[in-house]
Amino acid sequence: MSRLSYAEIDRTVLDTLTPPRRAYWLTVAVLFCGILIGATCWGYQILVGIGVGGQNHPVAWGTYLINFVFWVGIAHSGTLISAILYLFRAGWRNPIARAAETMTVFAVCTAGLFPLIHLGRVWLVYYMLPYPNQRNLWPNFQSPLVFDLIAISTYLTVSSLFWYTGLIPDIARARDNATGTRKKIYKILSLGWTGELEQWRHYSRGYLFFAALATPLVISVHSVVSWDFALSVVPGWHSTIFAPYFVAGAIHSGLAMVITLMIPLRAIFNYKRIITDDVLENVAKTIIFTGLIVGFAYATEYFIAWYSHNPVEIESFRWRALGDYTVEFWIMVICNTLIPLLFFIKKIRRSVPWLFGISILVNVGMWFERFVIIAGGPAHGFIPHSWGLYSPSMVEFGIMLGTFSLFFFLFFLFVKHLPSVSMTEMKELVHEGENSHD
Amino acid sequence: MKRRTFLKLAGIGSLSVAAGCTSRPENTLYSLVRAPHDMVTGEVRWYASVCRECPAGCGILAKAREGRAVKIEGNPYHPVNRGAICMRGQAALQGLYNPDRLMAPKIKGHDGTFKDISFEMAKGILQKKVKGAAGKAEGGIRMVTETTGETLYELFSDALGRSGALKPLVLEPFAYESLRAAHKAAFGDEALISYRMEGADFLLCFGADFLETWLSPVEYSRKFAAMHGLEEKRKGRFFHVSPVQTLTAANADLWLGCRPDTEAAVAMGLIKAALDWGRGEHLFDELKHGLSRATAAYTPEKVSEETGIAVEDFNRLSNGLLESRWPLVLPTGSANEGPNAVKADIASILLNYIINPTLSLFDFTGPQRVTTAAPRAEADQFFDTLSGRPPELLLIYNANPVYGFPPARGVEAVKAMLEKDAPFVVAFSNFMDETAAVADLIFPTRLPLEMWDEYGGKEGIYATLQPATGLLAPVPHIGDLFLEVFYSAENRPAADYKSLLMRSGMEKAGVRSEREWLMDVIRVGGSFKEKEPVKANAPQVNPDVPAMLSGPVSDSLSDYGNGAASGETRRETLAFLALPSIRFFDGRGGNRPWLCEIPDPMTKVAWNTPAILHPETAAAYKLAQEDLVEIESEWGKLHAPVYITAGIQPGVIAMPMGQGHWGYGRYADQMGTNPLILMPPHTNPESGGPICAAPVTMVKRGRRERLANTDGSRSQHGRTIALTTSIEEVTAHDANHPVKHGLTMHDAPIWMPTPEGYDKHKDFYPAHEHDGYRWAMTVDLDRCIGCGACAAACYAENNVGTVGIERMLEGREMSWLAIQRYMDDDHPERVIFLPMLCQHCDNAPCESVCPVYAPHHSKEGLNNQIYNRCIGTRFCSQNCPYKVRRFNWFSWQWPEPLNLQLNPDVTVRGKGVMEKCSFCIQRIKGAHGIAKNENRKIRDGEVVPACMQTCPTGVFTFGNLLDEKSRVRKMVEDQRAYQILSYLNTKPAVFYLKKVTQHI
Repeated sequence: MSRLSYAEIDRTVLDTLTPPRRAYWLTVAVLFCGILIGATCWGYQILVGIGVGGQNHPVAWGTYLINFVFWVGIAHSGTLISAILYLFRAGWRNPIARAAETMTVFAVCTAGLFPLIHLGRVWLVYYMLPYPNQRNLWPNFQSPLVFDLIAISTYLTVSSLFWYTGLIPDIARARDNATGTRKKIYKILSLGWTGELEQWRHYSRGYLFFAALATPLVISVHSVVSWDFALSVVPGWHSTIFAPYFVAGAIHSGLAMVITLMIPLRAIFNYKRIITDDVLENVAKTIIFTGLIVGFAYATEYFIAWYSHNPVEIESFRWRALGDYTVEFWIMVICNTLIPLLFFIKKIRRSVPWLFGISILVNVGMWFERFVIIAGGPAHGFIPHSWGLYSPSMVEFGIMLGTFSLFFFLFFLFVKHLPSVSMTEMKELVHEGENSHD
Repeated sequence: MKRRTFLKLAGIGSLSVAAGCTSRPENTLYSLVRAPHDMVTGEVRWYASVCRECPAGCGILAKAREGRAVKIEGNPYHPVNRGAICMRGQAALQGLYNPDRLMAPKIKGHDGTFKDISFEMAKGILQKKVKGAAGKAEGGIRMVTETTGETLYELFSDALGRSGALKPLVLEPFAYESLRAAHKAAFGDEALISYRMEGADFLLCFGADFLETWLSPVEYSRKFAAMHGLEEKRKGRFFHVSPVQTLTAANADLWLGCRPDTEAAVAMGLIKAALDWGRGEHLFDELKHGLSRATAAYTPEKVSEETGIAVEDFNRLSNGLLESRWPLVLPTGSANEGPNAVKADIASILLNYIINPTLSLFDFTGPQRVTTAAPRAEADQFFDTLSGRPPELLLIYNANPVYGFPPARGVEAVKAMLEKDAPFVVAFSNFMDETAAVADLIFPTRLPLEMWDEYGGKEGIYATLQPATGLLAPVPHIGDLFLEVFYSAENRPAADYKSLLMRSGMEKAGVRSEREWLMDVIRVGGSFKEKEPVKANAPQVNPDVPAMLSGPVSDSLSDYGNGAASGETRRETLAFLALPSIRFFDGRGGNRPWLCEIPDPMTKVAWNTPAILHPETAAAYKLAQEDLVEIESEWGKLHAPVYITAGIQPGVIAMPMGQGHWGYGRYADQMGTNPLILMPPHTNPESGGPICAAPVTMVKRGRRERLANTDGSRSQHGRTIALTTSIEEVTAHDANHPVKHGLTMHDAPIWMPTPEGYDKHKDFYPAHEHDGYRWAMTVDLDRCIGCGACAAACYAENNVGTVGIERMLEGREMSWLAIQRYMDDDHPERVIFLPMLCQHCDNAPCESVCPVYAPHHSKEGLNNQIYNRCIGTRFCSQNCPYKVRRFNWFSWQWPEPLNLQLNPDVTVRGKGVMEKCSFCIQRIKGAHGIAKNENRKIRDGEVVPACMQTCPTGVFTFGNLLDEKSRVRKMVEDQRAYQILSYLNTKPAVFYLKKVTQHI
């Protein structure tokens, strides 16, 4: 493959910002309808009561928290790619860093909606905020949900800023090519970027610091999310491996989502020379690694349940594999740990259809992992008389559709209005490549 | 914009916002111009009365707030129930405030539809009809009534007699015909006696469901606890012989499942064993020889062959019976099961007589009031004559024969008769029930909680009713109505029923003035002075009685049941039994949402009616739980989902009565199934009682119908939840039983929910300090019979929402206190009940996970739920190991006027809020108020939560754990005390006392 020139990079990326075709707007409109369906369902739920969902006694948490964890998980690999791999100087992440980072921001936004949707009385959500009041009532800082609130809002703030910082030079580049209103908007967004040496110096320092700041968040946020479960007493939740287990799972699902998004992106926008098969292959290799960690975590859970001699734990895990949610459990195991092993075969990890298919399956598997944990734990708790099952209702599916639509809606708007590949970092990559060849 | 303009605009803006945001004023706030003299806003008034939900006649105290009754509790002075009340009694309020209660009379038009009319108009019509029909003895007026008090019955009889009519027929679906026939045969008197069960050390029961519906369930629950609860390291023994494991049978030390209708064979086998043992020397020869002859064939082997009870089990039973000092044998149940019922009842009486010559545990002094009810055969005859020679006017007071008779008889014959033009049918009913629907005039009269009346469940008890609540409509008193309609102003015996009642009551209670009557009788709820015990000698036993025992027991019905047992894969006929229901009684409770919502104690099924059958039967018909079956008898067929349990004999299907209404309001209609559909129209020729057993065939239908059952699992899966200990362990002399000190499920000790329970090695946070009180409860599983009265009391006291069948199927019931029922893994017929409520942990998992401090640990150790603070994350419920928290998935409905029952001391929770047992904090607060006024601490036993108040067996103890002398503290130190799942270190404040088992 011939070497990309700087101009070629600019042209390819900026070409994506040309006025879109009708098919694009049609898709956007369809997604918007999906959002409306979700919003209507939520409105109905607020009006009538949370009971329109399928949650019950004993399974009081349903798809709302499953989706919350799912989307927070998706968010993670964006930061992993844009920050951690940046610090490790893994050049192959440059072509996909922007898209992955965007995915992070939108996934956190989507995830952030779910705790609100989940609340029985969402209109009182401000009780969770530490605001001064005459009753001297503060939130309960012992509660993992307060940890969550802090972790997620920190994560949203940092990842948005990080994302935006990286965008500045590229927006400036887009501004230079744009005309009319677009130009005005880009002008404001680019914060007066001129490309002076001093600006570049500050920018690259700042970007590095942000990367360093975002890196611990990758670990901490999903650890905190896992403590929602691990800090409880529920059998199947109360476990010390939850933090690393959840972080690995999060990255696993996030990487799969990156592939799911990148493959259509590069097909539609002629990014094949930027997002090359090598890049995808590298992501696939990482998926093998995360899949193995996740598989190890599953095995550890079973070992600990057996090793504990605790009849409650043993029964809980026996039932998980062989009980009422056995289908969900085996979907989880097969999709998350067995199928990614196919990536050991070079042909498969270089084949775009295979990559796409497997990435979707991993996403499905990771959704079911959250289902098995969140619904399965309390369904089969300490008191056998109170055991019960949960299945989602139509309203929950409506809200799920709405939030998936919201995520893709935002992503669609993004790819046509902001540079979806970082021109700056691509040029760095090309430049470094030139240097290394010298 | 100028600075001044800005300030002006800002001022106007903020003023208008402030003005626009005032809360909406309450438009209908007015005080009573003339308040009743005893009504003080915010203060409770208690009115002593009598529960009329069944003929037992328990004394009640109705708690009234602002002129409306909000809660019913037992009257501690009343000799029948001594302060307890069952779930049906609790639910009487939901009859009073039932949204389907008729508020005006209705008259049937020519097109068959009903039209509301005024009470005056209805009275006018009634008066005209009475006048028209008067003077014609049989063709004139006839009347059917439920069991009523003496005064009211005499008024009815007198009024009817004045018009030349016969006395009213007392119709009661459970009239104990076979037992009455047995008494008649044995003693020459059919009166239903009471039993001194508390004095027995051995109890054998041939199906009498005395903990559920039989005669006087609250009374016998109490006496049973006295007899069977662990006391001084001893407890009585209890055997139960019946084809179905009813709640009563589940409380037995050994339930012996027999084939349907073969109880008589067991009883006769025992008579033979007793005679062979040398008992019965006091019998005069004629009787003795008669008995030996009649029972000669009933060797243990023969009994076993007839009944399906293993020989060794029978021997255990006969040895136990004959070795005991004070044995008591009880007869068959409320619903007569089959052709041999009379035989079984006679044999049970004779058995008592043989082993206890003085019959000292039989109390002949006060026959049950229900004895006045006509046997079913007589009622049948009554309706037959009616259709032959119809009277002009038929009055029906609170009876529902169209539903209560087998449809083969009721709907076809009774309804046809009632619907004929000839009699003008007046139903004095508050509900549009099945019988009212075929009447010509429906005339609502006052319900017991609104009435002056008197009712003694037994002869010799003079107990009174008084209005405890304001009227919802100008409904007349049935007595006043009769006085007005049947009498002219001159010959009226009294101006109104109240004066009539007072006149007769003053005499019966031995008081002289109205004031005395009101203060000493009405206020107490009756005249309960301890009388000289009447030394009533046991009547002589009729020597001819053995003749009635002759003849084979194994006739028609007993053959049905033995198919599956004998290994055949499929049989054509099965035996079908209709069981009286602890929840609905004969069906009159079917429209009370609490009774529908609180699950059946044995099946844990709420709202719908299952067909209960044995796993072997299910296997033979390839049935799984909840499969829909069609059951057909000669007389009808029905559909029902299957409930499979080992607590029934193979080849038998049982179904509780009381549901399957087709015209009894929104909560009852089309809910469940009425098992009487399958019953024959005729009665038992020997007793004249209705037959509640029939041969049926069963076919599997392809579909399933989900049962609204609340149990996730019947097994405890080896966890430390509902624990038992053996009598040997309890009575062992070395009282220093091993102290546990481990950290795992099976060796964790009790960890007190007080600073004593703090241990720095296992506790992360310091112990809670308590301010004078640490409320705690003990639950004695040895006394818990699983009746569910506590659950009903909790619904009533705490405004717990009822959710309906759809929501229950989704798993959203709201009960704060649920009776959990567990079956032993190896012996599923060994059942244990456990009331589960909030454990008010000292180390509560719910408290730490709430982000907004809605669950909050109070200074007195209570785990309070602050509803206003709750935002509905439901984390607390997820993290509660005991799963006692309930979430308001919706805003639950109390259709008017059901809302009038709501306890004003307790918040009604809206949607999106978590709730749970509060230890009745409103009662604790009330006690605090009183104690503070009197400048003292709250006394031990002063705070009584609703569950504890109503429990007939004294399961609960509540008090202050910090008080070393409190009863609860003493109970906690009992060797049987434990905490559920204490290894979780939640330090619950609810301690359970292990059930004491004895394997005989």
